[in-house]
Amino acid sequence: MKKIIYYLILYVFFSMIQFIFGKYLNFFGIFPNFILIVIVYLGVSKKIINAQLMGFLFGLTWDVFSTDIFGIRALMFTVIGYLFGKFFGDFDTNKIPVQFVVIFFANVVYWFGFNLIYFIIFGNEVYMTYFFDISCCVKIIATVLIAPVIFHILEWLGIIYA
Amino acid sequence: MRLLALGFYKMSQRRKTKYENIIFLILLLISFSFIIGRFTSTVRLIKNLIYCFSYSNLNLTNYIFYPSGNFTNDIKSIIYMRYENIAYKQKNRELTDKLRNYDTMLREYNNLSKLLKLTKVKNTVSLFARISIRDPNKWYRWFIINKGQKDGLYNELPVLMFNKKKDTLCAVGRIVETYRSSSKVALITNAAYALPVEIKNKGVNCLAEGFDSNLLRITYIPRDADIKAGDEVVVSELSSVFQKDTPVGIITDISEKSSVDFKTATAKVFFEIDTIYEAVIILIPEIKI
Repeated sequence: MKKIIYYLILYVFFSMIQFIFGKYLNFFGIFPNFILIVIVYLGVSKKIINAQLMGFLFGLTWDVFSTDIFGIRALMFTVIGYLFGKFFGDFDTNKIPVQFVVIFFANVVYWFGFNLIYFIIFGNEVYMTYFFDISCCVKIIATVLIAPVIFHILEWLGIIYA
Repeated sequence: MRLLALGFYKMSQRRKTKYENIIFLILLLISFSFIIGRFTSTVRLIKNLIYCFSYSNLNLTNYIFYPSGNFTNDIKSIIYMRYENIAYKQKNRELTDKLRNYDTMLREYNNLSKLLKLTKVKNTVSLFARISIRDPNKWYRWFIINKGQKDGLYNELPVLMFNKKKDTLCAVGRIVETYRSSSKVALITNAAYALPVEIKNKGVNCLAEGFDSNLLRITYIPRDADIKAGDEVVVSELSSVFQKDTPVGIITDISEKSSVDFKTATAKVFFEIDTIYEAVIILIPEIKI
């Protein structure tokens, strides 16, 4: 029961931050990807199945609230949840440099996959170059920098509802 | 025994991994089906509708429904209509407020004008024009001015002249023909011209008729009207061309022989008919709302 409440809180809290606050608090459209951090955290410190399912759920919710291809985020977050779930227990998530590296690679996977799908569907090379775009890089940096704070919150929530 | 336990543990781990992989594949398939399903108009419509109601605005609505078919175009029109309606309501409220203010101000203006016995001032624009052609054979009939349609002139506009002695504008004639950069002005002294006038401060309505000279024939003066030479003739309220009380001329002679009911007078026009070279045209500007 505690587990369900924990995941429910995670879902509601981070959905609100990402979809409601993100709309008003973004700086020139740049806002950290909190959901990605949550999924990576779940992958490396909880079970793979939880990361996958939460990734799928978060992705689906985000797809509903965006104009991008429906299902693209559900797919990417599921893949990220699965991939980082494979490293379950391999990292010391309390170390900030580890958090930075893990979140950076998660971002790389996310944006690469995201633009690859767009490139496959629309056949436009612009989507592949977006990966090197300054706004994309800034988004990645913002997400990486905010990661320790989110990891700390998630650890704290984990202790309460463990 | 230990080996058996290790074997069971490895088997359970493998089964767990297999189970996770199956879930992963199922989720992957669902996601792919969503991505492919996105291309069917129904799924796209449902998703776009949810998004549109979540973050409704015009540009976004246009972007969302742009690639869709007729049905979604109808939805787009409904949303557009809603926004137009909001804009019109806003404009309507603003205009109603303005109209209310205007009505109040007009009422106040009328009351004050009445109390102070002021003449109502019309919102007009004066345009100065030079007389470019004047036919000696039709000296008292008409002349041509150097302003026309491109200056905003049209037929039936009043033409006046500045009288230096009286220090006021007095009636000269009206525009009868308008061209691109010139206009023909029929003088009040033209035999074909008649102007409703009144005797100033006496309230006697009569008619000023031209007869191709520098004089006007003032007709239809009631026999019992107290009129004498030197009385001023001004435009009456009945004129559709000139503003009321515009000076026309001065009575020089009165004749009582012509009719039993009316008497006739002769008036000299105020405008300097022989030296006129510039005229003033009174324009009523368009009202911009």
